[in-house]
Amino acid sequence: MHDFHYRLPARMGGQRPGAHAGSSRGPGMEFISHQSLYNQPDPRRLDVRASLREPRGDWLVRVSRQRVSVPVYVVADVSPSMAFGAKHSKLQVLADFAEAAGHSAFRAGDPAGLIAFDYSEREDLFRPAALSRGAGQQLAAPLRLAPVSRAMPAKANLAAGLLQAAQRLAGRQALVFLASDFHWPLAPLDDVLGLLARACVVPVVIWDPAELEPPAEDGLVVLRDAENASRRTLWLRPRLRQQWRAAVAARRDALKAFFEQRGLRPFYVEGAFNAEAMSEYFLEANL
Amino acid sequence: MTLLGTGFAFDFVQPWALALLPLALLPLLRRHREELAFPALAWLPPDRIGRLVDGLGRVFAVAALLTAVLALAQPGRPESEVPRIGRGAEIVVLFDSSLSMDDEMVKRGQLPKRNRDSPLRKRNIAREALARLVARRPDDRFALLMFGAAPFRVTPFSQHPDVIQAGITAAGVSNGLPGTDLGRGLLAAISQFDHRAYTGSRVLLLVSDGAAEIDDSTRQQIRDGMARNRIALDWIYLRSANWPRLEDEDEPRPTALITDVAMHRFFKTLPTAYHVFEAESPDAVSRAVAEIERQQNLPLEYLERVPRRDYSPMLYLFAVLACTLLFVQRAYVLRSWT
Repeated sequence: MHDFHYRLPARMGGQRPGAHAGSSRGPGMEFISHQSLYNQPDPRRLDVRASLREPRGDWLVRVSRQRVSVPVYVVADVSPSMAFGAKHSKLQVLADFAEAAGHSAFRAGDPAGLIAFDYSEREDLFRPAALSRGAGQQLAAPLRLAPVSRAMPAKANLAAGLLQAAQRLAGRQALVFLASDFHWPLAPLDDVLGLLARACVVPVVIWDPAELEPPAEDGLVVLRDAENASRRTLWLRPRLRQQWRAAVAARRDALKAFFEQRGLRPFYVEGAFNAEAMSEYFLEANL
Repeated sequence: MTLLGTGFAFDFVQPWALALLPLALLPLLRRHREELAFPALAWLPPDRIGRLVDGLGRVFAVAALLTAVLALAQPGRPESEVPRIGRGAEIVVLFDSSLSMDDEMVKRGQLPKRNRDSPLRKRNIAREALARLVARRPDDRFALLMFGAAPFRVTPFSQHPDVIQAGITAAGVSNGLPGTDLGRGLLAAISQFDHRAYTGSRVLLLVSDGAAEIDDSTRQQIRDGMARNRIALDWIYLRSANWPRLEDEDEPRPTALITDVAMHRFFKTLPTAYHVFEAESPDAVSRAVAEIERQQNLPLEYLERVPRRDYSPMLYLFAVLACTLLFVQRAYVLRSWT
């Protein structure tokens, strides 16, 4: 079990005490100001030294902010393309990540939940945020049980599914891990990010090494798209490998540019989830 | 089942196997199990070479199935009879090598002498005439047999002039052999034609100066053999000096002549063509040979029976070839990502 440390870039509201900088007043160590005992009748917080300095002779009470707990949601893409993977499927990697996220959330005192989507929201995989020692397993279990649906609706639109799923979090303050392989047009993502404006969104880009790096030996590969009926036959050769790598690099650049414009930084998971890298990601974050 | 095309016949021994032909379309179907799922095809470039190699594999597979199914049906060209024109004749020269052939050929009224090196010896005259015949007929195939008490083959059928001329030369080397067993000689000559395709007129050229007794069963065998192999008989009868012509005598009186006439009469009863050329001088021998040459020079039209030709081995070969190419192609297909 690998968990990671995370912190949030902004103060969050909320009444539930937790580990994150909050915006609500309450019992906390973070001092804001003094107030008259009459306005804040809490004699436990009486500040005698400040009261003596007070020219009007009022009794002053220390007012501080409390730290809050913030729900952590993993918004998971379970579309068929996530079933891809050479050693283990990206879905398994996603489950590993969800488990780590759930566990980390419990360690930080935050409730963790799971929202899954493919071409619509997958309510069967929904797990409401709960503060539980077993949150990791609770988040991972639905993902481990191969939830990929083979049936593809006629007008399969992954972004629509995501938008539907994001409605659950609309306007809420939360830490949202948006885990997907992002093999879909990014433009509709703006609507989603609009819904999640108050949340802290971390795009988790899950890719498999097999899709990033072409096979080493020359030969014929017959490929079928995981999500639609199209197919492509390639004769692997150095020139094609070059094009393949260039396409991956271009996609990386596109993702980077898109998220940077919106103040987000994608976290890449390639092959296996690395909790330490996730911790580093949060430490590096320009908060 | 026979399909008659444009002068090109075609049949199948097992036509029911053609019902399997639609199997050949199977490789054209999409093979989901052999495709590798990929999450984002959009970022891979379309590849013409890849499609070509894939298409080649399908072509090989279709070809392998198609040829295998066709081979099962055993197509072939049916047995047929083809009219052919034979140019050269096949001539078996049956050369009498008995002692009497060493006699000189003399004019009527003279006494024949037996002189070994005389160019007038019957043997030498006949040889020279034959040599000319062979030299002038390069299209023909000759075989040379000699017989005395027993026949023996000097050269088998050959079109090679040197071989035939050498054989003819050899006929003059030895002294005459004792005995004249014409029946065995004829049977041996006839057997030369056994198991040979009939490609031109067949001539048994008997060069002899006299005949011998042939018993009835041998006569029957000769008759059957001549008919079976369709052989024309030409007899250059090197008549001994001062002897009457074969046709002249009603009942030949000289004892030696009795057998000759008897033979002549037997030959006339043969089912096939028979000509006798009586020659009592070197010129007459040449004339006789020239006559034979003229007669056997006609092109022969005959029907050759062409056996059924089975194409299935060839098709199996193609199927094996296509399978091999398919294996090579398949060896290059990546089956998994790891």
